[in-house]
Amino acid sequence: MKNNKSRSCWEPVKDIMGKHKVIFGQHLSYQFINTPRRILHMMSYYKFASKIIGKGKNVLDVGCGEGLGTWLLAAECGRAKGIDTDYEAIETGRKNWKDSKVSFDYVDFFAVDSNETYDAIVSFDVLEHILPENRFKFWNKVAELSDDNGIAVIGTPNITSDQYASPVTKAGHVNLYSGERLEEELGSIFSHVFMFGANDEVVHTGFLPMAHYLIAVAFHKRRL
Amino acid sequence: MEEKRRNEQDVWDEVKRLMGNKQITLGHHWSFNLYNDPKRLSFVLSRYKFAAKMASKNKDVLELGCSEGIGSTILSEFAKSYTGVDMDIDAINAAKQNLSSDKMNFIQDDFLGKSYGNFGTVVSLDVVEHIIPVSEQLFFKTIYINLAEDGIGVVGTPNMTSAAYASLASQTGHVNMFDEKKLKTAMERLFHIVFVFGINDEIVHTGFSPMAHYLVCIGCRKKAGIEA
Repeated sequence: MKNNKSRSCWEPVKDIMGKHKVIFGQHLSYQFINTPRRILHMMSYYKFASKIIGKGKNVLDVGCGEGLGTWLLAAECGRAKGIDTDYEAIETGRKNWKDSKVSFDYVDFFAVDSNETYDAIVSFDVLEHILPENRFKFWNKVAELSDDNGIAVIGTPNITSDQYASPVTKAGHVNLYSGERLEEELGSIFSHVFMFGANDEVVHTGFLPMAHYLIAVAFHKRRL
Repeated sequence: MEEKRRNEQDVWDEVKRLMGNKQITLGHHWSFNLYNDPKRLSFVLSRYKFAAKMASKNKDVLELGCSEGIGSTILSEFAKSYTGVDMDIDAINAAKQNLSSDKMNFIQDDFLGKSYGNFGTVVSLDVVEHIIPVSEQLFFKTIYINLAEDGIGVVGTPNMTSAAYASLASQTGHVNMFDEKKLKTAMERLFHIVFVFGINDEIVHTGFSPMAHYLVCIGCRKKAGIEA
């Protein structure tokens, strides 16, 4: 009897949940099975970005992958568009997150039309995949696409943690940053840069060389 | 240099080749959670990470109330084996389809009062608040009877003090809320040593417990016997 009662108190919850089914694509599925804590870390970076950006904003998520974080930005900030050059990842995002708050574009960041500007540009785990010779092209595009009062939230692994990275991770990293270099390069585009570190899911302002991950928040873009 | 000129796309294609092609399809429970409040995923995974860091390495881990196995991969990453039990058949089917392996095993069952073996660690997160008060003792007893002599129990539940802020779906399912004292007292019936931690968002801490959004209790050094 007891068991039946405790079973029945889960049923009303199931009624509320509806019948959605989210499908992870290649990248998230790989992470979920092989490096599940990475999903936790990534979601906490996105949560941090959403809190910094605030409500009622239009956000561009550069290198959105399958768009799980883009959806968090949309849900928390109001509106978000995710872009990526991985076609399958974009298709996964489109299938999973059908809502007027969120959209996805299969487009190269460098080719994004700059007629539309955004309240915030978010980019996690992209910079380290940009060839070093293209890095200022990247920064200039960030500036171009952000509104005059816009902010940029840029996250990338700390170069000091590279020695601990897995082979799959290392295969993609061609442009790793220290805290100093990230602050300096962003500082040439924006007047103000706040530097944060992240270790696992905790975002902090501790000693940067020991931070596993770097998150820079930049605003007030310079007139170039 | 005849080194092939690579662009960003080539670099990423190489990463994709290394990732394989497995696909995870979440069930209704986690699909709903992600739609409804995506940041919750980070809160929930951090509870699992904390449990895993405390008590999963080289252990046989049992999870009571595993739902779709959203935390199973974290709990099993460093474990010897992982067993997840849940009465929700849709959730267990999703878990089985996505994750079953030599190391990971899922059982559809109402676990109250049942024994599944002698485990080094029993974890139960976000479950006890769904157990009606009359079955509460039996819930804790279930943890006890599944633990080996030197086993560790990890129980997490939302703090009663945060109930006012809970969503409709949460409030609908929560029939037995705990504060620090009640949770600690319940665990002290099973264990000699009990530690309580608070969690706010994804951060685990030892701060002032009435302001903790979530509570996690770790019990070790099992008592010789428990009152019926």
